[in-house]
Amino acid sequence: MKQESTLKYTLRLAVTLLLITSVVAAVLAGVNFVTAPIIAQLKAEKLQKAIEAVLPGGGTEIGFTDETGLVSKVYAGEAGYAVEVNPNGFGGAVTMMVGIDKSGSLLGVSIVSQSETAGLGAVSAANTSAGESFRSQFAGKTDSVAVAKDGGEIDAITGATITSRAVCTGVNAALDCIARMG
Amino acid sequence: MAQMKYFYELTISSSPHVHSPITTQTLMRDVLIALAPALVGAVCFFGIRALLVTLISAAACVFFEWIWCRLRRIPCRTYDLSAVVTGVLLAFVCPPTVPYWMIILGDLFAIVLVKMLFGGIGKNFVNPALAGRAFMFSWPMAMSTWVKVGWGNQAGILSAADAVTAATPLAAMHQGQLPQASLLDAFVGNVGGCIGETSVLLLLIGFAWLLYRRVITARIPLAYLGTVAVLAFLFPQAGGRLEWMAYQICTGGLMLGAIFMATDYVTSPITKLGQVVYGIGCGVLTILIRYFGGYNEGVSYAILIMNCCVVLLDRIGRPVTFGTSKKEAAKK
Amino acid sequence: MNFKKQFREGLLTKNPVTVQLLGMCSTLAITTSLFNGIGMGLSVTLILICSNVLISALRKVIPSQIRIAAYIVIIAGFVTVVDLALQAFLPDLSENLGVFIPLIVVNCIILGRAEAFASKNGVLASAVDGLCQGIGYTAALVVVCVIRELLGAGTFGGGILNGGEGIRVIPEGYPAMQLVMPVGGFLVLGFVIAGSQWLMRKLDNRKKDKEAAKQ
Repeated sequence: MKQESTLKYTLRLAVTLLLITSVVAAVLAGVNFVTAPIIAQLKAEKLQKAIEAVLPGGGTEIGFTDETGLVSKVYAGEAGYAVEVNPNGFGGAVTMMVGIDKSGSLLGVSIVSQSETAGLGAVSAANTSAGESFRSQFAGKTDSVAVAKDGGEIDAITGATITSRAVCTGVNAALDCIARMG
Repeated sequence: MAQMKYFYELTISSSPHVHSPITTQTLMRDVLIALAPALVGAVCFFGIRALLVTLISAAACVFFEWIWCRLRRIPCRTYDLSAVVTGVLLAFVCPPTVPYWMIILGDLFAIVLVKMLFGGIGKNFVNPALAGRAFMFSWPMAMSTWVKVGWGNQAGILSAADAVTAATPLAAMHQGQLPQASLLDAFVGNVGGCIGETSVLLLLIGFAWLLYRRVITARIPLAYLGTVAVLAFLFPQAGGRLEWMAYQICTGGLMLGAIFMATDYVTSPITKLGQVVYGIGCGVLTILIRYFGGYNEGVSYAILIMNCCVVLLDRIGRPVTFGTSKKEAAKK
Repeated sequence: MNFKKQFREGLLTKNPVTVQLLGMCSTLAITTSLFNGIGMGLSVTLILICSNVLISALRKVIPSQIRIAAYIVIIAGFVTVVDLALQAFLPDLSENLGVFIPLIVVNCIILGRAEAFASKNGVLASAVDGLCQGIGYTAALVVVCVIRELLGAGTFGGGILNGGEGIRVIPEGYPAMQLVMPVGGFLVLGFVIAGSQWLMRKLDNRKKDKEAAKQ
């Protein structure tokens, strides 16, 4: 077998790898070109769905001032506002969407993402009857809310006081932010 | 009767032989006697349902062990009462309102998976009752519902739905506040909690019996309780140092765990130094979970974690062979 | 290349999950509903076939010193294509599987088969091997999924049947929730591996009995 010089050998390794990588990169660029608009559209639809869960008719993003540090986005629509808040729950931040109508009373609460204990805190986000009865308690409230243990009117989920408190904190931050805006 | 069964087990070894009247059965019987005061207390605090849950749990454990031995065609040793002890201890760490089918499933897990699948008595690597309790957290709502103490508040025998719920002292302490119950109540057991864990007084009576009968030594419980006491004293979260320390010791499953679970022969170290380190480790983990962890009670997970470390702990404190030095022993 | 032998190997005697114990991470993490199991299994099968074919086609060209790097680039390319396609056309599956789709790149099954089989055999044989191992992987995943979902959540066919909810077999409040958490994954997988061993031994004994009867 003819002995290859070291330079030629190294060159062969490098060129082969370069060729393979370039072809793969080109294919990926092509696939991305095709799918990127679809993915972006799906993301926008998902966001609108999350907003519409608490604010009928949807909304568009607006600027806001926030004292609590928990509000991340505010959307304004015909029916009022949808506020995205991230209070700290039991197992990390709970991302929730709070709908508030123009007169400052709550339209509804939906949990976008959470990492609470399954069966306890996670019930707050679940589509079960327990979860829905917990979330529906917030509708119509105008002042700040608290769980019964802290002197408020909200019935906490059994065994998930910290998660219930976090949801109340998020709702209060949203109410506060909207009230501040006038 | 027990003597007849032992006739089938012929142990052959050379002399010298010493006969001892102690068998697994006598040890387990002593443990059950030690648990009896706490059971009586449980009935006084939580009603007849507590007794029923305990009896059903013990019966289910015996049944599962017996049927496993039948299916696998191995000799059945349920007469050594170890299954009964597992059943009683598992019942003691459950709330009084636990549904019967739930504790039966917990028994199935504890006996079949944790004990029998690994080879039966003496071969399990974690405490079966605590592992069963950890598995029963699959039904978190049922395992986190606590009832108020006292006649008239108790759970019914068939349905636990009409019991009055109340928070336990540990729930308040987890939030960093002193519990509402008085220290005397917590000591006597007049507080909410699991069936067998509430009364420190009755558990201490059981402890005294176990010490008198030489079933256990005080090393692990003292190391465990001592560590919890010292850490609670040094880092109180509310109230005076002594008050907080006393509440930490008298509430939750600490007494039950330190006396009956951590001292289980199979899952604790053999060497003296190993046992002390084991107790200290359990104490540190309990405090860490109670202070910083998600659950109110850290005893069961602390003991389970230390169970897994026993293999390592058995190495420290190994006695040195006569004639060699410590260095040579360490090399092996 | 014996298709029947390779199929039987992929499914039972050399099953990537229950015998070779590869790709356990994804098996334990996502097998909580039937939809996840089938989706993940099919994705891995597709990527396995494609990467096996390409690597087998290029096996004489890729120098052995850089082969691992080349394999990873090729596998990552296919995985990214599948990931983007799922995000665009099957967003529910993509959300359920989450980070485990990109993790297919380091799924030991794919690299393992590339190294053990595709780099040494022809294109058609490699494609068949990819298919059989993928089917074995999917089968193992589906078995674990069905058990975990049935005993842990009480439903069957989550994500596919009954409009995504699955048919409720065990009433709410009764299933053991820990079975759909990582603890349950380990427990159920252990039992599935034990079951597969028992099945293999039984088939072996039956074969031995047949051979003994013939003589």
